[in-house]
Amino acid sequence: MSIYLKITLLVAIAVYFLCIFYLLKKKRLELRYTLLWIFGGILMLFVVLFPGVITFILKYTGIVEEVNAVFAAVIFILIIILISITSIVSKLNSDLRKLIQKCALYEQRIRELEGKIK
Amino acid sequence: MKILIIIPAYNEEESISALLDKLDSEYPQYDYVVVNDCSTDLTLKILKERNAHYLNLPVNLGIGGGVQSGYLYALENGYDIAIQMDGDGQHKPEYLKNIILPIIENKADAVIGSRFITNEGFQSSAMRRLGINFLSGLVYLLTGNRVLDVTSGFRAVNRKCIEIFAKEYAQDYPEPEALIVTAINGLRMIEVPVIMQERTGGSSSINGFKSLYYMIKVSLAIIIARFTKKRRK
Repeated sequence: MSIYLKITLLVAIAVYFLCIFYLLKKKRLELRYTLLWIFGGILMLFVVLFPGVITFILKYTGIVEEVNAVFAAVIFILIIILISITSIVSKLNSDLRKLIQKCALYEQRIRELEGKIK
Repeated sequence: MKILIIIPAYNEEESISALLDKLDSEYPQYDYVVVNDCSTDLTLKILKERNAHYLNLPVNLGIGGGVQSGYLYALENGYDIAIQMDGDGQHKPEYLKNIILPIIENKADAVIGSRFITNEGFQSSAMRRLGINFLSGLVYLLTGNRVLDVTSGFRAVNRKCIEIFAKEYAQDYPEPEALIVTAINGLRMIEVPVIMQERTGGSSSINGFKSLYYMIKVSLAIIIARFTKKRRK
């Protein structure tokens, strides 16, 4: 890994962490959903600081170039995060459904009770 | 016994009145609740004007979420039997009695009104029947229950089943999946013959490209549902 690439990646990772912490500070991200992102960032940082790990992995995975291994790792992390986001959305969807149904039931109750009063 | 008819309705302005008229005049022994799933036509207005029993979903949930609201209503209001019936005129109230009879006699926990026992009346297109047969085979393979008309939305269930469906009900294209849920909870299902009408209003939600999506999604859902563990109460 060339020193230039290393610096570029380090800067990128720094920006990445700054974004996360900024959003966390502003309470625009919930920490429990952010842990995966932070973990991914630490992994990226580790790889950039110790490319030797990659050389080791290269030997056993059949990936040809170091840079490719970095990209592969990043894409892998992204996919994991996307799956987790889909799962979060699904949970929200199901919570929302329950609320909507409850809402409809209460609305019907209110109508019924209003009818009785009149 | 308290019996509730759940009528999911999405844009059924052309047919809902006729059905409710019939229920009011000829079947006053059954309660009904129409679930208006954010219809964009006059369905809600019609329901309001005739002072019908209805739930009005503030957000469109689709057929699964709509029907489930009906089951929640049945659960909260202590109904012993819930019947599910389409508001588009496909399902005839004449068969209500037949459909709940096995439950009253305690021969079944869930009853499905089936077009394919006597093969009378509206039979759907050949392509659709092919799809239905495939799904029926899949349900048989996975649960050992032979149900011919797996997509029929004309069903009756007892209290046990109401409790399960109120908690857990598939969201889109729920009919075949509900059978699996019923089966893995150890409930007894049977089919009774009914004659269905071609819909008098509205249009089917499944056609063209959607049918491919439907088949894949439902097959997958059935398989996954089979491997989901039984819910503990």
